[in-house]
Amino acid sequence: MEKAKCRPRGLGAVRFYVALWASRLSRPILRLTHHNGTNFPGELALKLCPDFLKYVARPGKIITVTGTDGKTSVANLICDMLEGAGYKVLNNRLGSNINSGIATSLLSDCTVFNRSRRNIAVLEVDERSSKRVYPSITPDYTVITNLFRDSIMRNGHPEYIADFLTSAIPPETKLILNGDDLISVSVAPENPRVYFGLTRLDTDVTECVNRINDLRICPRCSGKLEYEYLRYHHIGRARCADCGFESPEYDYAGTDIDLKSMTMAVRDAGGEAKYRLLSDSIFNIYNELTAIAVMRELGMEHSEIQKLTDHLKIAESRYKSDKVGDVEIVMQLSKDRNALACSRVFDYVSSRPGNKELLLMMNNLNDDKNWSENICWLYDCDFEFLNKDSVTQVVVTGPRAKDYYLRLRLAGVPGERIQCVRDELEAAELLKLEPDSHVYILYGTDSTCLKIAAQVRERVIARAREGLK
Amino acid sequence: MIIEALYPEICNLYGDLSNIRYLSRSCGAEIVNTSLKETPRFVSQDVALVYMGTTTERGQELVRDAFAPYLDALKRRTERGGVTLITGNALEIFGEYIEDDGKNHIPMLGYFPIHSTRRLMNRYNSLYLGELDGMKIVGFKSQFGHSWGDVGDGLFTTLRGPGLNPDMKPEGIRIGSLMATYVIGPLTVLNPPFAKYLLSLMGVAEPVLAFEDAAVDAYNARVEEFSDPRRGFTY
Repeated sequence: MEKAKCRPRGLGAVRFYVALWASRLSRPILRLTHHNGTNFPGELALKLCPDFLKYVARPGKIITVTGTDGKTSVANLICDMLEGAGYKVLNNRLGSNINSGIATSLLSDCTVFNRSRRNIAVLEVDERSSKRVYPSITPDYTVITNLFRDSIMRNGHPEYIADFLTSAIPPETKLILNGDDLISVSVAPENPRVYFGLTRLDTDVTECVNRINDLRICPRCSGKLEYEYLRYHHIGRARCADCGFESPEYDYAGTDIDLKSMTMAVRDAGGEAKYRLLSDSIFNIYNELTAIAVMRELGMEHSEIQKLTDHLKIAESRYKSDKVGDVEIVMQLSKDRNALACSRVFDYVSSRPGNKELLLMMNNLNDDKNWSENICWLYDCDFEFLNKDSVTQVVVTGPRAKDYYLRLRLAGVPGERIQCVRDELEAAELLKLEPDSHVYILYGTDSTCLKIAAQVRERVIARAREGLK
Repeated sequence: MIIEALYPEICNLYGDLSNIRYLSRSCGAEIVNTSLKETPRFVSQDVALVYMGTTTERGQELVRDAFAPYLDALKRRTERGGVTLITGNALEIFGEYIEDDGKNHIPMLGYFPIHSTRRLMNRYNSLYLGELDGMKIVGFKSQFGHSWGDVGDGLFTTLRGPGLNPDMKPEGIRIGSLMATYVIGPLTVLNPPFAKYLLSLMGVAEPVLAFEDAAVDAYNARVEEFSDPRRGFTY
């Protein structure tokens, strides 16, 4: 069933169909010239018809996924579950999450007569693009995974992003929110909503150990928030002693998490069911719970969702492991210029069993070509997690290597464990590759960094193989 | 020796608190955190440095309301030579008003002879290279607003990048030993000479910085980088 869309009239209709056909025509040309996966068709459509998103056909049900971290993983999980359940799903996983990427996805799905071929859309939407997307598209559901500090230059701070979303999300859209994140909870307070969250874990604390905690005061009275349990940063269950404000009750509670048997129970108004965990990282457990909550909102039974999760996998694009002899070499995406994402990676990596050798190359090399990376985020980031005896070596490299070195020293990492070298391939030579060690190459998201990270990985693998001879 | 952080529960964006962590690490001073509902320590006690960092737009108004009863105490402290450092948009809290997206006129504390404009859809990002008493100052700006007003020479003399606004050379505000700047983040970590200058003002004789060699090494590299005329400055 196609969702009712605005119909262009008069000259507007001519303009829209010219945009639709021209942008559709550009797709085979792009394929022939090996330029797949770009936003060009959507950019062209929006240039020819700025109201393109308003008029283009879309499936009968639309779910958007937004938030600072995890939106790609959650959107992918939802897509995979829905496809497993037999839905024909439109998504933007091959394009971008801004308005032109979404336009590209929508136009690739519709017929020349502007009819949608699918019955549901799962669209990842960048928070900052929401004002360009939501005036034209009214989602049935919007999922907000979490709101944290992100790029200082682009996103400012999470309160700003929460306000941004509040002013953009249509009032009729039902929100599926992380109840453990009071910043997400504050978005669009008048909208219908449900909350998901994880009940207390053994590893939870009551005082924040992270540098970033963006919700220390009560949003209602500015009193000090007390946390019944705190997982990381501001994620947890809070209460204001002054006015009684508190975190919402969960509609979908992830509970009884058992990392040995890799299971989690999900409890909601319809009962409780046990699910297989797709990953042992808390971030991915949240992602899985979020996707299950969406399926439940769509009316699926627990038993059906359980079957769907049995065949699911978390995409490995952000984590790739190779074993060479007794050395494990892991490529781990660690989003550059994002203190929170790097803190979570540092926490996860440093708490893994065994000795770890790290190569930090999360520099934004594209920034470096034109200006100079704003490194303030290093001082929001918990490098302190790397000050553990099991982190036996940290090699820092790239244009910001000296900044990383100083930050690591201030985090307490002994100088003899740190090597600092500008050239990334030289850095690959410095890793000790001790027997039974786990080597983590932490790289950033910009295209130049990705290419160099691939070369570094090859070199490290080659060195590990040489060591076997 | 005490360093007082004013309202760190909300004035903590962009790594700003590393400014005082670094000074404390370098001189052994105790950091005292004063929250919104508390009376600042400097009102009744000798404090070597009062510090306030960047906050959210809503935070600016919360700080204004919380700090208003103590503004006169800050003025008296400044007249007596007390050292205060204010970074990022906390500077705007001490101006006359903020004009918000051409719509709202938000009164502020009125200590500094400036007014600010805020444009939430136009985030302004820049590198900064300036000078103070012959010391090169390097840093970053990332902000929604700019300020206007007669601030004399300001705090820093701009060599590259924006001053108090993109058309002004003076950057920041200086009233005796009270210093305010739009430069965000780890200003003292990035600028060892400035960190030592602050420590001297605070009364530390012959200050030595934590990991001074590493800090100076990174500083020299950044000064050279930011002085390169081919280096883009706004983002």
